[in-house]
Amino acid sequence: MTGTDTLAPARSTGDQSTPAAPRTRRRFEVRRGAEIGALLLLVVIFSVLNPDSFPTVVNLRTILDQAATPLIIGVGATLVILLGCIDLSVEGLMSVCGLAFVLLSANSRGPGDLGMWAIVIGLGVGALLGLANGLVHTQLKVPSFIVTLGMGFVAFGLATILFGEDQLPFLRNATLTSWPVQRLLGLPYSFWLAFVLVALGALVSRYTRIGRYTYAIGDNELIARDNGVPVNRYKVAVFTIAGACSGMAGILGTMELGSAPARIGIGTLFLTLAAVVIGGTSLGGGKGGILRTAVGVLLLTVLNNGLILSGVSPNVQSGVSGGILIIAIVGAAWPFRSRLRIVK
Amino acid sequence: MTIRPLRTRPPLAVVVAAATAVALAAGCSTSSTPKASSTTGSSTTGSAAPGGSFDGASYTGANAKPVDTSNLQIIASVINTTNPYFASNIDGAKALGKKLNIPVQIVDAEGSSQKEISKIQAILAEGNKTNIVFVNTVASSDVPPIISSCKQAKAFCTIWWNKPDNYEPWDQGNNFVAFQKHGGVDSGRCTAQTLADSIKSGGVVALGGVQDSTTSQTRIAGLKDELKKHPDVKLLDVRPANWDPQLAFQETQTLIAKYGDQIKGIWAADDGMIIGAKEAVDKSNLKGKVKFTSDGLYPPVIDIMKSPDNPIVGETFHRGYMASAMGLYTAYLAATGQMDPSKLPHEKRDSIFKIACVTPANLADYTKYDTNIDGWIDELIKNGPWNVTPVPLVAGGPEKLP
Repeated sequence: MTGTDTLAPARSTGDQSTPAAPRTRRRFEVRRGAEIGALLLLVVIFSVLNPDSFPTVVNLRTILDQAATPLIIGVGATLVILLGCIDLSVEGLMSVCGLAFVLLSANSRGPGDLGMWAIVIGLGVGALLGLANGLVHTQLKVPSFIVTLGMGFVAFGLATILFGEDQLPFLRNATLTSWPVQRLLGLPYSFWLAFVLVALGALVSRYTRIGRYTYAIGDNELIARDNGVPVNRYKVAVFTIAGACSGMAGILGTMELGSAPARIGIGTLFLTLAAVVIGGTSLGGGKGGILRTAVGVLLLTVLNNGLILSGVSPNVQSGVSGGILIIAIVGAAWPFRSRLRIVK
Repeated sequence: MTIRPLRTRPPLAVVVAAATAVALAAGCSTSSTPKASSTTGSSTTGSAAPGGSFDGASYTGANAKPVDTSNLQIIASVINTTNPYFASNIDGAKALGKKLNIPVQIVDAEGSSQKEISKIQAILAEGNKTNIVFVNTVASSDVPPIISSCKQAKAFCTIWWNKPDNYEPWDQGNNFVAFQKHGGVDSGRCTAQTLADSIKSGGVVALGGVQDSTTSQTRIAGLKDELKKHPDVKLLDVRPANWDPQLAFQETQTLIAKYGDQIKGIWAADDGMIIGAKEAVDKSNLKGKVKFTSDGLYPPVIDIMKSPDNPIVGETFHRGYMASAMGLYTAYLAATGQMDPSKLPHEKRDSIFKIACVTPANLADYTKYDTNIDGWIDELIKNGPWNVTPVPLVAGGPEKLP
């Protein structure tokens, strides 16, 4: 085994005694420091460029509020990627869960107020579709990117049916619509929700069996299976968790917006996957962690916020974000380039 | 060495074909057929539909004569089915189809140019019918392949909102009946003026649609041009929000962090974005201190404008059902031989229709049309597509930026 992540849990399988392990450990530590350093550097640069608008409490709240949704999705997305799989159904699940939540809460379309049960059902829909992702992937042996891509379209279809031909449904419960911007210790509830889920995800991936097995499966599924790990069961569980995370993000998104468009969360998938990669989690699985993704999300959110505050043209901004992603991927693969004999 | 016999499996193509057949049988075709489609068909031979007379420059709907609609079919293609404007496009197509006794096929492009083109081509390829087509194009570049398909199928097509400026109907023949739109520059000017008049002075931030959208670009051009007449009003920033309420919400959050209480007004290129922007303001310390203007006058915005603490001071009026019905009726006149597109003046083939400025004071003058769509369709048939209130033809295209 190579590449033990100091943010991530101890690995359950593999050859811990390989000579390269200490050297790789150092590399990862340096890279983790580089990511946090890059975040701090961006903060310093944007603070110097925009002393009146960037380093303010209002902007801190804005950044943390905007980071909340990708942070929540990032928890599930990171676990799936640690498995060596990918979940592309995020935006579809967000849409259908957000709509289900709004239509079952007090809303402008009429009766149907189930109170807190609307949140439970919204999350349940996400978990159910995530479960379906996992079952199709493991039982029918379909690659995860195909399954989840298809499930994303299924979810968009369900959202379109739920939306129907009626007007945009607005939440009529002021408690729900104002909840994300309520403050605890000066920071918005939306961020605290994301913070709790990220912390929970990090603890689960480090200290629980499902977390350790996730790393083991991602590192080498065959070895994990030969060592008695019930691979399919844990894969299904992780996809279900990821579905619930997408559902939570959809619910939070509709609470923020106060209404439920048929397609909420467009662009969130790209942002989250970019954050996972920038954070240093390997798309091959088995290496990385949720805290790394959190750093990646904050880095991209600060970058986006800072570029707007600096008055950078939207056209340039798009190019800059893409360029940073490519540089990050090159940087992430750099220590392993000598081992990559064929790149497709 | 033994040679294992090959296992006999059904070829993948057979499996896919069988699955497709099952899906089609279950009604999962590429386009949905609304109720209107089932009301007519080959059984309605020789039914008399309204038809005006056309002499090349004027239209007299009162001069009705029987038109055989038995072989006609309406196709209405929209970018998606959940946006209120596109849903209204569908309403207009259905209402006109019902009035003219012609079946209607709806094409949902699902936001994709490729899906839009392939679905339209699939329906046109069915043959047997004379198709009357309305397309609210996903992108300008979709128009040439769509018109090419219309020519091959001898369909009569009208395009709304987006086309390349140098691709004109009169160069393509009678199957590209017309291109139609509402003026984007006029829209931007109208909403900028009402916003500036309302706030008198201070900063304004603007939210545009997708960066390369001609509609967004023309509206923003109108905004900027109008604000030159209001030196006390400063355009602080223009950000793209991609017609997306959630992105508009986030962009507004960031703009509030940047400009704070300098922001006195927010302008958006359409109502979807103003809903997101208003929510962001309501969740900030600027609540009640910012005025809004936007384009479209969607039902949620109408409700806000009727409320006692309404912050939306200006809107424009145009309707999806009006656009689709006008486009389809223009194509219908060509398909039934009541007019020859090649004899039309250029402004009736590349057309810009009026866009009205709406304030809370005159709101009722425009919302009345929404409660009587059938009545408006009657007016359309009576007066023709270029002279119907409240959206008569005002100029020929392509639209010039100030």
